[in-house]
Amino acid sequence: MIRVFVTGVRLQLLQLMRSGFDISAMLIWPIILASIAFYLLDAKESPHLLFAAALGTAVMMMWAQVIVGAGGALDNQRVFGTLELLVAAPVPLVSTIAPIMIASGAFGIYGLVVTIVWGRLLFGIPVTIDDPFAFVVALLACVIAIGLLGLIAASTFILYRAAFALGVSLQYPVWIVTGLLFPLSLLPAWVGPISWVLAPTWGFRAIKESAFGGSAWPSIGMCVVVSLAYLAVSLVCLAYFERLARDRASFRLA
Amino acid sequence: MPVIEVDDLRRVYRSRTSTFKRGMKEVEALRGVSFSVDAGELFGLLGPNGAGKTTTIKVLTTLLLPTSGKARVLGLDPATQHRELRSRIGYVFGGDRGLYDRLSGLDNLKFFADVYKVPIRDKSRRIGELLDMVGLRGREGERVETYSRGMRQRLHIARGLLHDPEVIFFDEPTIGLDPVGARELRETVAGLRQAGKTILLTTHYMFEADELCQRVAVIAGGRIVAQGKPSELKAAVADRTVIEIETYGVDDRTLDRLRSLDGVASVSFETHDQAQVVLVQAADASLVQPLLGLLDGVTVGKVVSREPTLEDAYVELVREA
Repeated sequence: MIRVFVTGVRLQLLQLMRSGFDISAMLIWPIILASIAFYLLDAKESPHLLFAAALGTAVMMMWAQVIVGAGGALDNQRVFGTLELLVAAPVPLVSTIAPIMIASGAFGIYGLVVTIVWGRLLFGIPVTIDDPFAFVVALLACVIAIGLLGLIAASTFILYRAAFALGVSLQYPVWIVTGLLFPLSLLPAWVGPISWVLAPTWGFRAIKESAFGGSAWPSIGMCVVVSLAYLAVSLVCLAYFERLARDRASFRLA
Repeated sequence: MPVIEVDDLRRVYRSRTSTFKRGMKEVEALRGVSFSVDAGELFGLLGPNGAGKTTTIKVLTTLLLPTSGKARVLGLDPATQHRELRSRIGYVFGGDRGLYDRLSGLDNLKFFADVYKVPIRDKSRRIGELLDMVGLRGREGERVETYSRGMRQRLHIARGLLHDPEVIFFDEPTIGLDPVGARELRETVAGLRQAGKTILLTTHYMFEADELCQRVAVIAGGRIVAQGKPSELKAAVADRTVIEIETYGVDDRTLDRLRSLDGVASVSFETHDQAQVVLVQAADASLVQPLLGLLDGVTVGKVVSREPTLEDAYVELVREA
């Protein structure tokens, strides 16, 4: 299982890195988002706010990459005829689908580096990280959490090709509800419980805490707990939807 | 002892007729298919497009659930024991799909070796053996998107054999290949049979089935209409002579006139560039002159009479179905 997972992540990253379009988008998007944040937040006066915005941008890109990029990658598996082969393989489907999601999330780390580099070069953002070790752990926990959240959505992509379009529409709601676009305190109180069950909320909180001071470990712990719940839900969903797909013949619709 | 057993297999596809209305459309792809394949046998499933060949293979390779009926592969039920079965069977299909185009052939094989649980100590050796076997040694580092159709198909075969499966399902593996590529592929399939693999091959190329298969079943409209050795199927039309008449501008009414002639068993035609080749299965070659007489007003080219082939038997079986 672990070997399949590692190979799958490598394969997906190789595919992403061989797409000039994906690389270009990842280069341009952070500049646009960082520019918006710079002028919107008047960051000349509060450079730390801009660094926080840069981190938020990177996590937003991770989620976008998972829900749009990985959703597209899964749809491509159907078009390329490889989805059938993954289903017909002796390993559980989760071990071949999860790497697509996690690798897409990990590609967001590249986005983080680009955002920070551009922010530093263009706007002079000070890049100081209070607890580098916790920062790295928080980043990895966030990538895995976002990937596993995408995995739940991916289970429906296997059955319904059109579910990909629905997945794309989840991009903005998750950005808003997890506090990536603006602080959760600006949202109505009832949004709070929704944000707690979304692992990116805890992942982003842990990243900020490790960068700006404060203990990130409780947030990392919550991120891991919620991610494990996602994994359990994905396993059940994937098994159920695989059975339905075998019944409805929906592996190969292209 | 049978390795593949199929008994009264049925599969119905249901799809909505409209997004907004409740209507459902049903297509009966398999209508009670039964056959068996012995250990080490190369069995051909022949039929026209839409006959049910691929549906049968997908049920046997665990990708589809049957609506009713029974199937067993290596004693396992593909519907319920799919986890155990998947590591013991290989599935190779024809065409351009089923590979990661942006990656090299080697990266594709490495990935599928892990997915198909090839032990890590055997992985490099097994990939090397298969690259040699399919003739891709030296080209494995190139991206698949630069491969020719034949190279992609050979990579497909290598992928399907990575885990050394006991039973291999080939679904129209030579489709779209040039004659040389198709011949090489048939040699590979024949080699696998000699190595003791049990093979189920679907095709609509009769010469391919005649050359490779020990037994064949003809499927049409979701039903098996005949099965046996290729020679037995040919024997069903052995008492006939096939008269091939090259024509230009023959119409349906003329073909009906040919069919009504005494001693004519069947009439079909194939289009070859500008010409239509009329294939008449007749009692004997003496019918050539009466047939030509009925083609009055039609430009006639070459006329040949010959022994019936498996393809003639197949055409007759499918026509009757």
